[in-house]
Amino acid sequence: MKIGFSRISFWGCVAAIIWTLGIYATVVRFFYGLGAATHLSDSVPWGLWIGLDILVGVGLAAGGFFITAMVYLFNLKEYQPIVRPAILTSFLGYGLVIITLLFDLGKPYHIWRPIVMWNHHSVMFEVGWCVLLYTLVLFFEFSPMALERLGLKKPLSLMTRSIPFLVMSGVLLSTLHQSSLGSLYLLVPDKMHPLWYSPLLPFLFFSSAVAAGLAMVIFESYLSSRAFGRALEFSLLVRLSRILVPVVLLYGIIRFKDLAGRGVLGAAFSGSQESLLFMAEVLFGLVLPIIVFSIPAWRNQRAGLFLGAVLVLLGFILNRLNVSITALVGSADVEYTPSWMEWAITASMAAAGVAVFRLAVKHLPVFTHQDTQAKQVNPPLLEPGQAGAGVMAGLGGLLFLLLMALLFGLNRKQAAAKSLDGEAKPLSASAVLRLPAAIVFEPDEASPGRVTFHHQTHVDPTRPGCVSCHATTFRIRPIKSGQAGTVKMDSLYAGKQCGICHNGEQAFRADEECENCHSGR
Amino acid sequence: MKSAILTDLTRCTGCEACVMACREINGLPRTSENHRLNAHTWTAIEHHQGIPIRRHCMQCEQPSCVAACPVGALTKTSEGAVIYDAGRCMGCRYCMIACPFSIPKYEWQARIPRVQKCSFCYDSALKKGHEPACTAACPSGATIYGEREALIKEAQQRIATHPQRYIPTLYGLTEAGGASVLYLSAMPFEKLGFPATIQHKPYPDLTWQELSRIPTMVSAGAAFLFSAWWIINRRIKMANESERSSDQTA
Repeated sequence: MKIGFSRISFWGCVAAIIWTLGIYATVVRFFYGLGAATHLSDSVPWGLWIGLDILVGVGLAAGGFFITAMVYLFNLKEYQPIVRPAILTSFLGYGLVIITLLFDLGKPYHIWRPIVMWNHHSVMFEVGWCVLLYTLVLFFEFSPMALERLGLKKPLSLMTRSIPFLVMSGVLLSTLHQSSLGSLYLLVPDKMHPLWYSPLLPFLFFSSAVAAGLAMVIFESYLSSRAFGRALEFSLLVRLSRILVPVVLLYGIIRFKDLAGRGVLGAAFSGSQESLLFMAEVLFGLVLPIIVFSIPAWRNQRAGLFLGAVLVLLGFILNRLNVSITALVGSADVEYTPSWMEWAITASMAAAGVAVFRLAVKHLPVFTHQDTQAKQVNPPLLEPGQAGAGVMAGLGGLLFLLLMALLFGLNRKQAAAKSLDGEAKPLSASAVLRLPAAIVFEPDEASPGRVTFHHQTHVDPTRPGCVSCHATTFRIRPIKSGQAGTVKMDSLYAGKQCGICHNGEQAFRADEECENCHSGR
Repeated sequence: MKSAILTDLTRCTGCEACVMACREINGLPRTSENHRLNAHTWTAIEHHQGIPIRRHCMQCEQPSCVAACPVGALTKTSEGAVIYDAGRCMGCRYCMIACPFSIPKYEWQARIPRVQKCSFCYDSALKKGHEPACTAACPSGATIYGEREALIKEAQQRIATHPQRYIPTLYGLTEAGGASVLYLSAMPFEKLGFPATIQHKPYPDLTWQELSRIPTMVSAGAAFLFSAWWIINRRIKMANESERSSDQTA
């Protein structure tokens, strides 16, 4: 009991630190703008929040629609015990997605705009509507837990009767927006790296979200069994993993068939930054989980099952980050490393998710099928060996994070060297010749001599920047038509005309060194 | 009338008069830089291969950004301009991702930021039938304003009369499915800071293929789910009933 207490307070401290940083970041974000809080730029308009909180968040919440469909539409009643935790996870997931969206949107108070301002040609419009409606569906699917707790029988029975229709609309809405999140990127075939741009993005996004959603249910059931000393619906989770494996396999086959079909499989092994991240994604999301799940001795053990699920999740996270960041940053030839404030918000959201989940489990009938039978079959608390497996999985996760940090850190390309390309070039003869001919100012009686103005001596012919003079002091057109205009020394001394620069600061003074200009030639 | 701008890069001296004129008419701060597009520079003179390249919004015929915007804050007018309504915008920045030329820029430092880009001087000139500030300011005639068809003819004539001066590409004729901004050049465009690959079909087609499928997908999906549920439910009911009746007879 004492151990349990100290563990809780430890995680409590961690959460407190994360939220403190998160609150600071929130203030900076909303009072000083996106530029102050994030490392987003014109070249990287979408960063960590879109990649990790929204693309990953929506995908991880896909377990809800899949499990509810199995139970309520296809009558696979044996999955009943995990329906409620799956719905709760999804509901919280979508809630967090919407909250993070408020951080990411430039005008968060316009978030409702797609409801009244329609553009049915926009994938974003469709995603917005689906997410909104599905969150409502999830709210209704979740409501029986609260209604039961409050003892409201009438609305509860109404909800129970309408559940099949809620689930049907949930499946349709999820299918639409899970795939449409991929369709968002269909618009940018030229800007995205070929390892991630594919006409099949909608399908790939949907199938990987189903896999991630199922893995999330396994992950979350395992953790809550640890945290709440609850019987793990172990045989159920093993059965779920049997659905998960073919989904992952199908995704993998289509993914590689697509790469081969577009002839870009070679890019996967080129050794570039992108290829390394691609291989990490395939290793974590495809190869390792399939190995773990295909060995019966591992698959039928909690630790193995958990490890497999974690691997699928890591691979999924990497995939979404690659699509949203790696694939686009490369072509823009820029670097992007999220700011600590971006991480703080992301971490705060994750911590909030865990905290609210705990609260809900504590106060609402989420785990209703905690039958004593299962308890006898599977001891509720972990055996020492399995605690070790948890630590191992934790270490694996840490290693993975390090690897990611390393790989994303490598993004620091010599962007500067490339963008200055044009400047470094020697000036071409034609560029010099484009400058207007010399302008001769004939002297009046008081003048010490004739002045000939050469454009070449006043501007860099490769980057003339004519408007540094012509916009303010001298007009371009009259000079072009051959009239030199008049220049008076008095106005020069007053800091006008040539005197704007010839003041001893930008160039030599006009009231000294007369012969520099009045050369008589 | 469909208006357009033709920029002949072989005639551009890089004087930046267009940049200054743009700032003036749009009330943009004069201090920011002239060589790269940003929220305060809607047209810029980039330098590639030692050549000045005027860049600004291509005013595509079927713009990617217009299709991307979930709230219809971006529209293509009948005159040819792609304009932005900050009042509608919710700040999702999908237009910035979507634009194949990476033109829309964002006011990252503002508390309430807007997307910013060249609007073809729609409100200040085009709507009234005037020419935009940049072409009016150009001293060398490198960038000119006119009717799109007429400018295409003019450009093709220039290529035909001076085949050694130009590469035989009129950029913007079919790029991104056609644009209201056209370029002539002596050098391949991908060497001058233009995208290395560009589609010659309208970009919105890519997502419309998926979006237009939704009604069919939804109705087929709904029919499938409902019938599956109905059949399974009915079979369970029948099984229960037969069980009950067999109980009764027993």
